[in-house]
Amino acid sequence: MKQNLTKLVASILKEARIIGRDRQALFLFFVMPVVFVLILSLALRDAFGERPGATFPVLVVAGDRGEISANVIRAFRSNSHLQLTESDHASEVQVRQWLIEGRYMFAVLIPPGATEQAKRRIGEMAARVPKELLTEKPVEVRVLADPALRGDYRKVLEGALSLALHGVEMRLGGEQLDQLLKTTLGERYVPMPDMEQTPVFMPIHSEVVTKERGDPTPTSVQQNAPAWTLLAMFFLTVPLSVSFIKEREQGSLFRLQTMTVPAWVVLGGKALPYFVINLIQMASILAVSVHVLPLLGGDRLDLGHSPLAILVMGASASLAAIGFGIAVAMYARTAEQAASFSSAVVMIMAALGGILVPKAVMPPLMQDLAVFSPLSWGLDGFQDVFVRGGAVMQVMPEALGLLAFSALCHGIAILRYESRI
Amino acid sequence: MNNPCPFSMQHAVKTGGVAAIELRQLSKRYKGARAPALNGIDLTVREGGFFGILGPNGAGKTTLMSVLGGLLKPSSGSVLINGQDLQRHRAAIKRVLGMVPQEPAIYPTLTARENLEYFGRMQGLTGKHLQSRVEACLEIAEISGEADQRVEHFSGGFKRRLNLVIGLIHEPRILILDEPTVAIDPHSRALIHQRLRELHAAGISILISTHYMEEAEQLCQEIAIMHHGRILVQGTVGDLLAMQRNETIQMQLTGDPPAALAQKLQKLPGLQNAFVSGRCVMVTAERPDEIAVQLMQTVHEHGLGVHSMGFGASSLEQVFLSLTESKAEK
Repeated sequence: MKQNLTKLVASILKEARIIGRDRQALFLFFVMPVVFVLILSLALRDAFGERPGATFPVLVVAGDRGEISANVIRAFRSNSHLQLTESDHASEVQVRQWLIEGRYMFAVLIPPGATEQAKRRIGEMAARVPKELLTEKPVEVRVLADPALRGDYRKVLEGALSLALHGVEMRLGGEQLDQLLKTTLGERYVPMPDMEQTPVFMPIHSEVVTKERGDPTPTSVQQNAPAWTLLAMFFLTVPLSVSFIKEREQGSLFRLQTMTVPAWVVLGGKALPYFVINLIQMASILAVSVHVLPLLGGDRLDLGHSPLAILVMGASASLAAIGFGIAVAMYARTAEQAASFSSAVVMIMAALGGILVPKAVMPPLMQDLAVFSPLSWGLDGFQDVFVRGGAVMQVMPEALGLLAFSALCHGIAILRYESRI
Repeated sequence: MNNPCPFSMQHAVKTGGVAAIELRQLSKRYKGARAPALNGIDLTVREGGFFGILGPNGAGKTTLMSVLGGLLKPSSGSVLINGQDLQRHRAAIKRVLGMVPQEPAIYPTLTARENLEYFGRMQGLTGKHLQSRVEACLEIAEISGEADQRVEHFSGGFKRRLNLVIGLIHEPRILILDEPTVAIDPHSRALIHQRLRELHAAGISILISTHYMEEAEQLCQEIAIMHHGRILVQGTVGDLLAMQRNETIQMQLTGDPPAALAQKLQKLPGLQNAFVSGRCVMVTAERPDEIAVQLMQTVHEHGLGVHSMGFGASSLEQVFLSLTESKAEK
C-alpha cells in the first residue's frame, strides 16, 4: 500500500508538471472563468435581484401643467428602474416615431388641461348632477408601448400609472368634500389632516424569507458566480479526457499497464491535480466576486455563513465533474471524440440545470427536468449557502447526489480500464 | 481448429532449462473481426536467448507483443514467462518484464530525466537506487547531455533511445521490443543494436519484433516468420536458409525480362510460385531439380540467357518473401 501511495504521489507530480507547462491550458483554467463571471455578473446585474440601474426609458408628455402630470412624474421618478424623460409639447405622432426608433419603451400622454377637466368633472359630481347629464368627460391619459417591452413589465408600469391617477382622483375628491364641509359647517369647520403627512398604512417593506436569519437578496452575482464556477469545473472534463486519451495515444498509458500500477493510482494521479485546479478555480471566482466585482460597479457576492458548506459543495461538484471526464475518456476512441462529446453533454447539462438560464424563469416542465442535471444539484447547493444562508446540513442532499454521480462514473471508468487488460 | 506451424523447427531450440517465454497454441480474435489476429502460436524463447519475430505489416506482431505485455487477454492458449502463467502471476511477471513499445511511450512535455524518474517510481524504485538507475539509463542511451531537455524537442532517434532505456529502468530479466528501430537515423539504430547485444551478453532474454531482415539476421539467434497471425517457420537463420535450399531456384538473367515471363513461369507444372524482380528470378517448387530444365527453356523462349543459376535462398529476405508471398497467394 505504501508503495502504491508513493506511485500515486509521483503520478500527481507528473500530471502537475505537465499541466503547469501548458500555458494555454492554465489561461483557460484560471483566467477565462474569472473573466466570464466578471462580464456576465456586470452585464446581467439588473436582470436579477432589486438592483436599480439603466432599465426602461420612459417618456411622460405632460401636456397638463397641473396636479395629474406632477403626480404621475413623481410616481415614475420614485421608481429607480425607470429612466424618465419629461416633455410638455411632443405630439402623439412624434412619440410614436420615438417608440419605433427604440428611444423610449413606454410613453404616457397626459392631455392639456387634464387636471382642470378632472376638477370640473368632480365638481359636477359633487353637485349631484346625474350621470347622464354630466358635461365633463372622463380624462383620457393615453399609453403607448414598445413591443420589445415585456408584457409583465408593461403591466407593472400601467399599474403604477393607474395608482398615480387614483391618487389625484382621491385628492381632488377630498378637496371637493372639504369645500362642501366648510360651506356647510361654517365656523364649526375643522380641516382634515393632510393624508400624506399622516398615512393610514405603513410603507410596504417585503421581507425575503431564508432558512437562517438575515435578509439576503439574490443578486446577479449570486446566480452567476456559482453557475459559472460549476460550468468551469465541468468544462475541465474536456482537457481531462483529452489528456487521458493523448496519454493512451502516446502509449504511456499502455506502458503503465505493463507495470504493476493499479488502476486507482493511474486514475487518481490524473484526477487529483484536476481536483485541486477545480478548487482553485472556485476560490478565484469567489474571491473576484467578493472583492473585485464591487470595484467595477457590480454587487458584492454574499458568501453566506458557512465556508465549510462552500468547500463541501465545491469538492463534491469537482469530483462529479472529474468522474464524468474520466468515464468519457475511457469510452472515447479519439481526443476529438472525447472533446466534442464531453463539451456537448456539459452544455446540455448546463442548459438543463439552470446555469445558462436561471431555473426561476423556466416553465414548470423544464424546472422538473432540471433535476436530471448534476449542475442543477450543484447550483442548488451553492445557492442554499449564498442566498438562503444554509450550512453543511442544508447542502448535504445536493452534495451526496454529486458524490453518488462521481462514484458511479469512477466505478464505470475503473471497470473499463481493468477490462482492457 | 488451429493448424500446426507448416515448417516448424522446434528441434532448433535448446531447452536446457525453463524457457524465458513460452507460448502454447496462443490465439487472439478481436471482437467482430473475421480472422484471428493470432492463430495457434507456438513459440519458445530460451533463457538468455535472442529471438526475432519477422512479419509484414498486419502479420500480428504488435498483437503478440500486447498479449506478452499483459495489455490484451488471449482468446485461448497460454503464455508462460519463466515457467509461470501470465494470467495467474501477472504482478510477479510484470516485475521481470521490460516492455519497449513500437511508438515512443513517453511524456513529451517532461524532460528525459523526469520521464525516467517517473517510470522508475512506477516500477517501484525509490531513493538512491532510482537515481543511480536513471543515470545509468541516460548513459546507456547516450543522452546524459540532454537529460534535462524536454523530450518534445528530441529527434526521433533520441526519443527511441529514451523509449528503450525506460524499458530497462527496473533491470528486467526479459526484454520485449516491438520494432524498436523504425524510422530512425543510422547512428541511433547502430547504438540500439549495440546496446541490445550488450544486454544479451549480460544474460537478458530478448524478444524483438521487426520487419528489417538485416536487423533480425544480425541480432537474433532464432527467428520466427509470422504471417496472418500464424508462425510460418521458426529456427536459426542457418536453419531457415537451409530449409529453403531444397525448394528454391534463383536465376540471374542476361537481360530485362518481359512482363509475360512471370505469367508463363507460373503455369509451369510443379512450380509453386515465381517472383521476377529486375533481372532476378526466384521460383519455389517441391522438386526444383525437376523443373530446372523447363525453367531455362522458358527463359530462352523469351530471347534471354541465364547469367547464373543456383538452388536455395541466399538471404533471409528471399526466405521471407517466398514464404509470405506464397501464403498470400494461397
